[in-house]
Amino acid sequence: MWAEIRDLSEAIDLGTPPREGPPVNLTVDGVEITVPAGSSVMLAAARAGRSVPKLCATDMLEAFGSCRVCLVEIEGRSGYPASCTTPVAAGMEVRTGSDAIDQLRRGIMELYLSDFPEADVGGGWSEFHETLARTGVTSHPYGPGMNHQTAAVDQSNPYFLFDPAKCIVCSRCVRACEEVQGTFALTVEGRGFESRIVAGMDQPFFESECVSCGACVQACPSDALVEKSLFPEGYERA
Amino acid sequence: MSVPNPIKPETSTVTTCAYCGVGCGFRAETHQGRIVRMTPWKDGKANHGHSCIKGRFAYDYYDHPDRVRVPLIRDHIDEPWRETTWEHAFAETARRFRDLQARHGVRSIGGVSSSRCTNEEIFLTQKLVRAVMGNNNIDNCARICHSPTQFGLTSTVGWGAASQHFDSILQADVIMVVGANPTEGHPVFGSLMKRRLRQGAKLIVIDPRRTETVRSAHVEADLHLALRPGTNVLVLNSLAHVIIREGLYREEFIRARCEWEEFQGWAALVGTDRYAPEVAGPEAGLDPEDIRRAARLYAGGPNSAVYYGLGVTEHSQGSTGVMCLGNLGLATGMFGREGVGVNPLRGQGNVQGGSCLGSWPHVYSGYRFVTDDATRLSFEAEWGVGLDTEPGLRLPNMFDAAMAGSYKGMYIMGEDPVQSDPNQSHVIAALKAMDCVVLHDIFLNETAKYAHVFLPGSSSLEKDGTFTNAERRVSRVRKVVEPLAGLQDWEVTMRLMNAMGYPKTYGQPGEILDEIARLTPAYRGMSFDLVDRVGSVQWPCDENAPEGTEVLHRERFPRANGRGTFMLTEFVPTRERTTDRFPLLLTTGRILTQYNVGTQTRRTANSAWHPEDLLDIHPEDAALRGMKDGDLVTITSRFGQIRLRARLSDRVNGGVVYTTFHHAKSQANNVTSDLSDWATNCPEYKVTAVEVVRVAAAADRASVPAEETARAERVLEPGE
Repeated sequence: MWAEIRDLSEAIDLGTPPREGPPVNLTVDGVEITVPAGSSVMLAAARAGRSVPKLCATDMLEAFGSCRVCLVEIEGRSGYPASCTTPVAAGMEVRTGSDAIDQLRRGIMELYLSDFPEADVGGGWSEFHETLARTGVTSHPYGPGMNHQTAAVDQSNPYFLFDPAKCIVCSRCVRACEEVQGTFALTVEGRGFESRIVAGMDQPFFESECVSCGACVQACPSDALVEKSLFPEGYERA
Repeated sequence: MSVPNPIKPETSTVTTCAYCGVGCGFRAETHQGRIVRMTPWKDGKANHGHSCIKGRFAYDYYDHPDRVRVPLIRDHIDEPWRETTWEHAFAETARRFRDLQARHGVRSIGGVSSSRCTNEEIFLTQKLVRAVMGNNNIDNCARICHSPTQFGLTSTVGWGAASQHFDSILQADVIMVVGANPTEGHPVFGSLMKRRLRQGAKLIVIDPRRTETVRSAHVEADLHLALRPGTNVLVLNSLAHVIIREGLYREEFIRARCEWEEFQGWAALVGTDRYAPEVAGPEAGLDPEDIRRAARLYAGGPNSAVYYGLGVTEHSQGSTGVMCLGNLGLATGMFGREGVGVNPLRGQGNVQGGSCLGSWPHVYSGYRFVTDDATRLSFEAEWGVGLDTEPGLRLPNMFDAAMAGSYKGMYIMGEDPVQSDPNQSHVIAALKAMDCVVLHDIFLNETAKYAHVFLPGSSSLEKDGTFTNAERRVSRVRKVVEPLAGLQDWEVTMRLMNAMGYPKTYGQPGEILDEIARLTPAYRGMSFDLVDRVGSVQWPCDENAPEGTEVLHRERFPRANGRGTFMLTEFVPTRERTTDRFPLLLTTGRILTQYNVGTQTRRTANSAWHPEDLLDIHPEDAALRGMKDGDLVTITSRFGQIRLRARLSDRVNGGVVYTTFHHAKSQANNVTSDLSDWATNCPEYKVTAVEVVRVAAAADRASVPAEETARAERVLEPGE
């Protein structure tokens, strides 16, 4: 836990927590890099200046591997492993981009976009919006279908709101509440399409055991959990 | 339907939170000149990107309508305030102070500074008193919280400060929390502690209450010693007794780092049967076996760390309690490496700075005595004036002297003694007895009702300077928005000095830190440049430690012989004890969402969580008194009476009641006793004998009539 806390820096999001360990040499897009054993491929890529697009990963939280945006190619291995949950190994040769990877990432982002408020795509500046821009996704090919766009906004907390329409269920808020704050107020309820973020015993945030530390808001990549102060005119989704 | 995207902040300024002693780094973000967001700074070495509700969200107080934006003045406290100019306020204050000194003597005035002020402001305030007023009547609010820390830790290990950095706890195997509740009082440190506990570190809690620290999600104390309030020293001596009798001390460490003969003297005291768990346990309301288990766990380590709070210091034996902790650490070798140590958790953002920088009547910055000629000469040379050789008055003594008629005026910087000091009616009477009370604050607080001049202060978001947090870390406070009243606080104090005839000026507060560095050994290497470059710096910072020091006492203790010493800590029970008339013990504390006397947090949405102070009472004690949850009750002590709503709770044991002191209308300090620490006068807030009675019918609760308050706070309209 020493490096995990002390080696964090505002200058870079390594994607997964820093580690301590003996040095491991590998290459990322041909760039030679040495990182401590136990580090993820995602962290090695970030250290090599070849950071990988991501949604569910951030270096203040343990890797989770749910969004699949961070997949890469590793020489000698089949498929497209998620870089956040794949530990580095000596001599590994990692490729962070290729036509196949780009296509897979776009496909994933289009799916996310298909259940995101259309009107909020332009002009946003969240990590989700940045990842859309990075993968070059501006629209999706899907027609109207089941979605989460009419779920009620939880405005019970005086300082922040939760808009399920913008939630991509990456679980960063849940993990921040557990790992960073240690309150365990949030959970993911349900499976698959039904899964959603729930505070306490499915209560409004204000009535749950949430202590309003803001760790979930800080962790949220898509402004589903966001400070009310950034909406001077109020927030209403009819 | 669409909602607007969030506004994007235009500026981002890294600064330090002014709430608790954790001192989190934040980015203060503005949009169109207003602060719209505070986000935790990942490079902040105290918080590593984490935050709590206060620092992250409760900043709205800064431009609250109640903020005073122009200086106010009046001749008598019965008059309404008149608005005035800065020039007139300074000139008139200077005239009144000098007039009092001419009539009543040089020592008839003084000042008090606050732990909410920057290091630079605190240093300047004591300079104002020593160099300009010409006496040593300077104190600070640490008097009423952590003065025993300074005395108790200096006595045993040489420095009255945390031996560790916060991160050190990640190497601790056993964590002993004494009289503190980090998850409420120091939430970001509380989260770090819980991380370590979830990894398997053991937890001992010594506290009368079953606090959130004792049991919360996935964390439970291995041992909770729910002692009777007032028995800290007895219980800590009993832990020491077990360590001595069972041979759990580290002889090698003691011989290498302490004086063996001093250890033997201490061992003889705590080793007596008087402190055997079988004797002390029942007296403190504890199972003797729990004391034995706690002692073995702590001594066994291998790395054991103590974190303590006001539950140790705010007692008539507060200093002794701190010494007990120092003794335990020395006897078991728990100093000088990561994962160990004895660490005070400081309530306010800059308690450590307040302590370091000479806002004390007996010591200059760096804890050097005003009676020491060499030190005094160095200050006289830097400041160009002769200095008083006699120690000045402590804060409670200032009030006593005011009642006696010899103390006539004071400059109160960022403090609210009426609400925060013990025995409220005495404080009010003392303030009323003075001719010139000058209050420098951001709000008209309770003390303002008794002030003659009000100098509008700047919040920490409106000024530059540094804070020193509970781990000795000096971090930058940076101006995010312009001061609402036009002047930063250091400028106000400087111009008051100038108006009183002392011409020294500073272009920016970094020059004050440079002066601190020239005059204060532990700060010798500090400068704005260094802190800006490195991010934050823990003192001592000098040529041997150019970027500061994380862990103290690695090789030697900062005492003349380089060794730690064992202080004799005989248990002397407080005179405050239960009687037939006052059968319950009242103890006080804090809650997460509110901060101290609430001047700031009560003016934010945080009050949604804690709209009023409640009295926690055990269901059996409540049943005896015919009380239900939510009943209005009166709490009566020998000193006064207050009314609160009761909350039935088994967080307190039978015989103990508990409340917070965040709301002015609760006037909790109307009932607290006038007893104080034998060594430092730190008030005994944590033990007051009371009786609690249900109020039969709804009755007016205000003990200060509303019209009196309105009159005292009234400001004349222009032209009136």
